[in-house]
Amino acid sequence: MTGTTIDHLVAVIVFLGAILLFISLFNQTIQTAITYQRHRYLATKCSDLLDDILLNPGYPTDWGKLNVTPTSFGLQDPEFTEYRLSPFSLMRLQSLTGTPFTYPRTGATYSNMSMGFGNFLFVPYTEAINYSMASQLLGTNNTYGFQLTITPIITVSISETHAANPLTLTIRVTGTGFPLSNALVSYCFLKVAEKGGQKNPSYTSLFNTTYTDNEGLAVATMPNVDADNAYAFIAYAHMSGLVGIGYYERATGYEEYVLPLIDSFEEKQVLLVHSYNVHDFSPPESSVFFNATFVLLTEDFTLREMPMENSTGKLGMVVYGQGTEKQYATLTIPTYNPGILIVTYESNNEYGVVLMPWGISSMAFPVSFGNDLSGREWVATDTRQVMVNNVVYQAKLALWTLEGYQVTS
Amino acid sequence: MIASIFTVLPQPRQVSPINLRRLALTTLQTLDGDYDLSETIFKDPNDPAWGQLQVALSACLPPNIVYNLTVYEVLGGTTQLYTPIKSISNAENLGVGTDSSSYLVASSNVTFNVIPEKIGEHEGGGTLYILNCSDTNGWWITGYTAQSLAEDLYRLLSPYFQATIMVQNTTELGQLLNGTALQNETLQNAVVINTFGEAVPIPAGYYASTDVGYDASQNSYAQYCHTLGRRVREYNWTWISIVGYPLYYVSNAGLFPNEQNTWGIYGMRCVGPAGLNAFLRGLDDQAYSYDSNGITGSPGVVYLSSDALEYCNYYGIYPSPYHTATRALPSSITSTYHLNVTTYVFDRVGNWTPGAVYRHQFPSDSNFTGALFALGLTRTPDIRLTTLGILGDYKPRLYPSEYTAAGTSRLVVLQFGQIGGV
Repeated sequence: MTGTTIDHLVAVIVFLGAILLFISLFNQTIQTAITYQRHRYLATKCSDLLDDILLNPGYPTDWGKLNVTPTSFGLQDPEFTEYRLSPFSLMRLQSLTGTPFTYPRTGATYSNMSMGFGNFLFVPYTEAINYSMASQLLGTNNTYGFQLTITPIITVSISETHAANPLTLTIRVTGTGFPLSNALVSYCFLKVAEKGGQKNPSYTSLFNTTYTDNEGLAVATMPNVDADNAYAFIAYAHMSGLVGIGYYERATGYEEYVLPLIDSFEEKQVLLVHSYNVHDFSPPESSVFFNATFVLLTEDFTLREMPMENSTGKLGMVVYGQGTEKQYATLTIPTYNPGILIVTYESNNEYGVVLMPWGISSMAFPVSFGNDLSGREWVATDTRQVMVNNVVYQAKLALWTLEGYQVTS
Repeated sequence: MIASIFTVLPQPRQVSPINLRRLALTTLQTLDGDYDLSETIFKDPNDPAWGQLQVALSACLPPNIVYNLTVYEVLGGTTQLYTPIKSISNAENLGVGTDSSSYLVASSNVTFNVIPEKIGEHEGGGTLYILNCSDTNGWWITGYTAQSLAEDLYRLLSPYFQATIMVQNTTELGQLLNGTALQNETLQNAVVINTFGEAVPIPAGYYASTDVGYDASQNSYAQYCHTLGRRVREYNWTWISIVGYPLYYVSNAGLFPNEQNTWGIYGMRCVGPAGLNAFLRGLDDQAYSYDSNGITGSPGVVYLSSDALEYCNYYGIYPSPYHTATRALPSSITSTYHLNVTTYVFDRVGNWTPGAVYRHQFPSDSNFTGALFALGLTRTPDIRLTTLGILGDYKPRLYPSEYTAAGTSRLVVLQFGQIGGV
């Protein structure tokens, strides 16, 4: 009798142990499966959200060209279908990576999308769409975080291989790790004519085309350029539907120059300001004289200069001081066609050129918008190839959940 | 153990995959951004352009993506539907997880035709009369001649009508008003476009005679406009005034050789607002009475209606979306003369209607009897608006022609695979 009881007890204990072990194993598997499913759902959501952003122009549809806050968020170019993005809507996204700055003369803070000295793009916060607003308009606030990056696929890098007379520039065209051979390269060379004294600089321009070799290299030779001449060189590469852009500038002075700041998209207005007002060099230095022009990429993939009337403010002067002299100048871009604003400047016998894209694609500037993704538990990504005014970009969305769950191990 | 055996969890790559199908589609669209892909795939398989396509394809993809691009000829009839033409790839195989997108491309040599439905094809009528009278002068068509406008209207509208007749002189117009067809066309339910702006051709003889065309007591030809309104009702015509104040002048170079419209244009006589008032009374079968009170207004800048904008896209006609209206008709005419607005070309501004098709309907009648389409804009006329208004009102359908002819279409299939990782 006692033996039977002990047998029963042992049997029950073993049975309970087996049940607990089974439940434990099963629970672990179920938890992992649920987490997998959530990750899978996040990936699907990421793909859907990316399409939502890229296949919808937002509202108003041309909000990129207006000074309004959109009531619906989307980046598609309203004049096209498919994955073509508006070069102006992209300009209005507040940069995630650039260091913002405040211009003390107007008190406005600017989103900084610049790509190094001479290649500037500053958009006032009052005109830029920030992450919080975009997230709200997309309906992802408090549920998902995201980061959107739009990166040009074709890289056109330019280097000086011979600095003077003749100036020789090497143009290297590559895709994502693969050279683009036999690509048509259309370029614009703009040299600042040194006048000396307190005058607006003048410039000479040259437009030409060439082809890359098997290694994706092309050479452009410019006669009558001295080692102390300031110039800008812009190259567009084109092959089988792929378009990329590169640029290179040489200045003779890097402290006193003009900085272009976007003032109004709707009015197409740009403020040209003295660099000392931004970088706070000291002591205050002399006025900067400038002469601006505008070039655009035509449909046959050649560059063309678009004349600007004097009434646009193409000629002028800016000063650092607080006196009665004009501290910044206002310039009106003559068109909504994307192009490049080129500003030649002269100050105290120092010369240079600064560029600003009008439409993000004109200089193939990358865009990084959204929130920081470091430290997130799980991030889903998806990519699309997109076109921005014929320039090929890769759009990548990283998405993560804010609702908090984790894998237990 | 049992649970582990029966619960098969997905591989990490399957949990959060890149959407290869979308990536393939957008890659194809990118490569065809300026129609380079469309051009290349119709070239000889040995053409160097294929090499460039491969370079471009390799250059625009992330390094972990391998591809296979295959182009198929699309054939019709009883033969095999898809025949492979050429394939390019950068890998021997695409691994276990692949996805693809297809893209149908038409040769640039293919011409697409659109065949419009003919107005009147089902309900009868379908004749378009364009007044092109050589013995008439126009007013407020500055920069054009009535003849040049007539030619453009013929080009734009004749594909949509069963018959298009140019009325070459006022004698032919008189013949029409008598109910006699010019070329055995159907007179009933026709559309008549007056290309002379604010002036209207008047035939000499019967239609200029006292109590038919001429009001002797007022020394006015407003009574001709009344007769015209009656004829429009009787024949169920749609009378179109392309610009300005409708029927403000009557013109016949032979009838008025020494008279001018007070602005130096001879062969023309001013009727003033009495012309339109008389026309509307005739259209509504009211007895003629002389009424010289102006009824139009000047709402200024006016905008195309949402319907008109939709028809712009459907018919491929793109006039400016806004214009200036200085001769807009009042809304009150709809009740005074039993008119229904069937199409608004422009949005109304208050009580003013800058451009609309008014169809007359007696209260006891279910059918329309005559219509007026008036564009009360300031000079000069834009005949695209006239075309848009007519097409928007009759709504003829467009039938795109099929393009299944052999050799005109090719199918591009781009298949992607991922390498590396699990």
